[in-house]
Amino acid sequence: MIRLIFYWIAILFLQLVVFNHLGFTSHLAPQVFIILLITLPLHISKSYQMLLGFLVGLVADLFIGTPGIHASACMWLIMLRFFLLGAQDLKEQIANHLPYNIHSVGLSTFAATATSLVLFYHLYVFWLESIGAINWIFILLTTLLSSLFTLIVIGVVQLLSEKSSGEF
Amino acid sequence: MQRLIAFIEHNMHILLFIVLQGMCGVLLFSLNPYQQASFTHSAAFMTDKSNELSSTVTGYFNLQEQNNLLQAQVANQFKNDARSSLYFMNDTITLRDTSRRKLYDVVPAEVVFNTISKASNVFIINKGAKNGIQKNMGVISSQGLAGIVIQSNANYSSVMSLLHINMNVIPTINNFEYYTGLKWDNGHPQTLKITGLNKLEEIKVGDKVYTGKSSLLFPEGILIGEISQLETSQSSQYFTTHVKTATNFRNLDYVYVIINKDIDQLLPLLPDND
Repeated sequence: MIRLIFYWIAILFLQLVVFNHLGFTSHLAPQVFIILLITLPLHISKSYQMLLGFLVGLVADLFIGTPGIHASACMWLIMLRFFLLGAQDLKEQIANHLPYNIHSVGLSTFAATATSLVLFYHLYVFWLESIGAINWIFILLTTLLSSLFTLIVIGVVQLLSEKSSGEF
Repeated sequence: MQRLIAFIEHNMHILLFIVLQGMCGVLLFSLNPYQQASFTHSAAFMTDKSNELSSTVTGYFNLQEQNNLLQAQVANQFKNDARSSLYFMNDTITLRDTSRRKLYDVVPAEVVFNTISKASNVFIINKGAKNGIQKNMGVISSQGLAGIVIQSNANYSSVMSLLHINMNVIPTINNFEYYTGLKWDNGHPQTLKITGLNKLEEIKVGDKVYTGKSSLLFPEGILIGEISQLETSQSSQYFTTHVKTATNFRNLDYVYVIINKDIDQLLPLLPDND
């Protein structure tokens, strides 16, 4: 449990202090913290998952300075995750109180789910942010670049956690 | 009744989703740019301390460079201006004309929070009302124009940067003022665009763009940028002019707030207070 809390704080800290301020190019705004929501354990009730998504998004909003955008996006992400996971056979993982990650559901399933969720999240956030001056080329390019970066980081974190018994 | 309760329990997450999304919508759309800025402001206040800590460390790395840029700028801008002379005061450089009456105060400040990747970019500086900074004051960097103050509290102010979709500056090119806005279109973070310049105007790539007389927020002749591209189309008689900003917003560290001392007297004289 303590390790889990430490892990959550570490990921949020990384997001707020490092990934929000990369600044190589304005096309790179990766939202790595959504790994927390993608890998949420499956036995938690849907309402709690929704509430958790809202709170995590609100924290991100506070530090990035966008009113409501990330909170809204996080809840859509949780909603989309319900749909994607509903189509997968996860009775065993639910019974064993496992989180949703590479080790519990296998690489290909996890990669497909994570990729669609990450792409959706970035597209939604960048679109919502630029309402009033929508520049689709910019939005799509930023989405692709940031999603790629986020997926690489998620992959690395998942592979690293294998050594430590795959608790997350 | 029991079935209703069971239904609600079963679909609690959807109810929660709708209610919370509603809250997000209220947050997102009921806040106008000004209130959005104050949200950013109060939110960023929480991170100010940590940002300031890292600023105190990283601030030294390019201090020398920034100082040289500032000196060059001050020299260029005011060297040939016979009316004004510089007085260096405590923390404030004050420009005076020969009648010894203050025209502009220039307050140096450090940027503690900055974004370039959003559609509405706002940065926060570590000087506020205590240093005389109020809403609607011009902000320049050592390279050129940077933004306009939209809110200030005792110690900090938030500044709408040039990279904000609501920003609109009247440009002066080759000593002619063009009353068509210089705007950012949420594209490249160093390119602004002017859409209404007639093809008959004598402008070319490389021409410098300055602030003009029509703004009370900035002194005349502050560099905004340089024309980098003149986009033409057969069907239009206007250029779409791309302007490369003089200020590099990616490494904006030090800025100067310009306080027009006569603004209180000048504003009521305008037909509509805009």
